[in-house]
Amino acid sequence: MIETMMTTLAQASFPSVMSVPTLAHYLFVSGAMFAIGLIGFLTRRNLIVMFLCTEMMFQAAGIALVAFARYHLNFTGQSFVVFIITVAAAEAAMALALVVLLFRRRESLDADEWSEMNG
Amino acid sequence: MSSSLSLRSPFPVGLVEGLVNAHYPPILPGRVPGSFGMSCLPTIVGASPGRPRGPASGPGLTALDQIINPSILYGACVLGALGLALAMPRKGKNPQLIGALVTALAIGLGLIGLAAKAGAAQLPNAFFYIFAIVALGASLRVVTHPKPVYAALYFIMTILATAGLFLLLSAEFMAFSLIIVYAGAILITYLFVIMLASQAPEEGADQVLAGYDIESREPIVAAVVGFVILAALSTMMFRGIGSLPPPATGINPDLRLVQLPRKVEMALREAGTLKQGEKLVVRDNGDAAVEMGARTAVVRDGAGAERTVELPKDLNLANVEGLGFNLLSEHPGAIEIAGVILLMAMLGAVVLSRKQVQIDEDAKLRQVRRLSANATGGGVAGDAGAAGTGGSR
Repeated sequence: MIETMMTTLAQASFPSVMSVPTLAHYLFVSGAMFAIGLIGFLTRRNLIVMFLCTEMMFQAAGIALVAFARYHLNFTGQSFVVFIITVAAAEAAMALALVVLLFRRRESLDADEWSEMNG
Repeated sequence: MSSSLSLRSPFPVGLVEGLVNAHYPPILPGRVPGSFGMSCLPTIVGASPGRPRGPASGPGLTALDQIINPSILYGACVLGALGLALAMPRKGKNPQLIGALVTALAIGLGLIGLAAKAGAAQLPNAFFYIFAIVALGASLRVVTHPKPVYAALYFIMTILATAGLFLLLSAEFMAFSLIIVYAGAILITYLFVIMLASQAPEEGADQVLAGYDIESREPIVAAVVGFVILAALSTMMFRGIGSLPPPATGINPDLRLVQLPRKVEMALREAGTLKQGEKLVVRDNGDAAVEMGARTAVVRDGAGAERTVELPKDLNLANVEGLGFNLLSEHPGAIEIAGVILLMAMLGAVVLSRKQVQIDEDAKLRQVRRLSANATGGGVAGDAGAAGTGGSR
């Protein structure tokens, strides 16, 4: 039982057809993860956790892209995930540098501390 | 007057429909699955002439009912919103465990609802359920855990489970680069910043968490908004994917092997097919003399005599090779742009970190107060700590 499952996992059967309900499973996971990340971004007040939640939304988009790439047997979806990771890394570097600057100025990671910046 | 009104009509439906149809032309029944990779064109077509459509569906959309029972989907969304609103950190009585259980129930309900409509052959791998539940559970914990360090660690768990999902989708390269880049690099940066930017706990205070970590902002509104978006998103996706063209059966990623003569020759040599002095024939344009349909190759020995041999069975295009061909042949401009983005991020981080910040007056005051409190209370606290550790030993 375990052995056959491991075999199906290892082979992954790339050229074979993936059915629409299977694709729907992956899209549901992707959508749920995106929603959870969005809620986290809206509710948490810690700047670092907020950026962590945006990274989670990137992940959700990546799952949808790879699932569609598998469905259409086309590598373009996987290529896009490469760019998602690139953008996420760049965003993390910039955002965290900004967070450190903001923390040094106010001694707090609270996003509401900066609410006067909304103009 | 009327003409100006008609011009300012907010939803020119015909125009929108025309635009959509121009960008997404209806799939012609005559087009058959093309040869994948040979022409460097992504073949998303592959419609069989008489592809089935839902009987009750409008043009282009299938009923949601074919993928999941709508009441189950919306019930799961409502339940998820309720649970997540409860699970958010808040002051005072904290029903976090109940909320997490309710949200887990909602996720399980959604997956069961999807599985109920799918045939036994259409169910995903058993590993899918493991990875999906781990990924969603850990992401739930990222959002609800009051301590940022734990949230980051749970995020690593989400990354690992997502990498497992990528493996199931036969995207091996992306799975491992996700682990290396995210879990290895980005999360370490996050952890560093969390450590760097956390406030030292005040002496005598048993509460080490900052107030903005304990209390979340508008949990109910955010949960409602998030799950309304999830309901709309999944409705649209499930209605849309029902009318996707069925996955093309004629696509063979191995066709790219024609452009990899050295790999083919290596595989032939390892399989023992090539005799002494024989070589794979390479055509003038650099392609290997390989017939992928019949899986045969033409080899030539030193005297110039050619013969046809069979390719080994396990010779396939690896995921990295396919991804590399796709990346370089179809998105060369995007690679350049990604390089510019990374360069800008590097420059920006350097500029930001070299900048001198002027600290706010009240922040300075707070710092001074904390430091003086530490200096006066430090001796007593140090003794107490020493006594405590001595006692525990």
